[in-house]
Amino acid sequence: MAGRSQLPVQIMENQTRFDLNAAVENWRNELAAQPNLASDDRRELETHLRDAIAGFQQRGLNDEESFWLARRRVGQPQPLGEEFEKADPVKIWRERACWMVTAILAAFLLGNISTSFATIIVSEFPSVSKLTTGTTLSLLFWLLQISGIMILLMRVHTRERLSMLAPFFQNRFRLAITAISVVLTIEVFCAAILFWAYVAFQGDYSPGGPFAFIGNFMIHSVIRELGLVAILVWLMPTQNQKAPKRA
Amino acid sequence: MYKAAMLTKDLVAASSKPLLLSILAGGESYGYEIIQKVRELSGGQIEWSDGMLYPVLHRLERDGLIDSEWKEADTGRERKYYFISSDGRKALKTERRQWLAVHNSLCKLWKIKPVSI
Repeated sequence: MAGRSQLPVQIMENQTRFDLNAAVENWRNELAAQPNLASDDRRELETHLRDAIAGFQQRGLNDEESFWLARRRVGQPQPLGEEFEKADPVKIWRERACWMVTAILAAFLLGNISTSFATIIVSEFPSVSKLTTGTTLSLLFWLLQISGIMILLMRVHTRERLSMLAPFFQNRFRLAITAISVVLTIEVFCAAILFWAYVAFQGDYSPGGPFAFIGNFMIHSVIRELGLVAILVWLMPTQNQKAPKRA
Repeated sequence: MYKAAMLTKDLVAASSKPLLLSILAGGESYGYEIIQKVRELSGGQIEWSDGMLYPVLHRLERDGLIDSEWKEADTGRERKYYFISSDGRKALKTERRQWLAVHNSLCKLWKIKPVSI
């Protein structure tokens, strides 16, 4: 078949053993660069590629030949992306919106953690408050955490690590439970820190004072965040949820 | 949309719906298996570009004619299986009538024995 003559030059020059897994990984990254392919579509195309590779291997072709032929069979990522998007234009937007809401929720939660830590540092170490205000410090913490998460996300290439978390997000119900637990845990943690900073440290136990302030702050945050959780659960792709009915 | 060796592009596109519905009416299946089956059935005359099958399946799914589910195969590998819905079976009946009507008209013109609908 024509596939052989079209192998890229570097493969020809490179005499080291062909690594099938690395080749599939590269192909997967190429596919992931297509903005109009949803993750479910990419997963489906990958199973097809793997089936095709196995099919060629069974016919006696080696790993390298099987991979390149299978790759040709599946097709070029760009026209594929265009056709997939035409077939279901809403799907990819749903997925994008899902990630946006997740990011907003994370930004809110990290904001609250930052505020709590900044508050305790400013009230525990008065010398710090001469240098900077609590708001600035909180913003600094927030930026630090965001950059930390960005670096972490860039480092995590392997799916295996992320797929460990999959059971927590398998369906709408589990996603809701996970998200609500995360929100409540973080908010209770923040409330405890604020309580420590204002009430225990400053010794202010007046009912109208810190208690009301912290309570108010937390209730507003929790309501806002649970709203986002609700949107997230609603946006979650509906596939694999219901047991499909066979006709 | 398809790489058609023998059939014209339009004909391949038009025939994909009855072909897919008929294959799935015979039992659930996944993309790779469907492609192999079509290749086998047509003796290589209908050559679909593999990746382009999925948008067609997704369109049928959006129209409610088929459903899909990720399932683990015996080999331990997960695949997305497609199966026909009750609306799909109804659509297949209509498709069948229409294709046979075209077929029979051509048969009469070409003096070949028509098939019963």
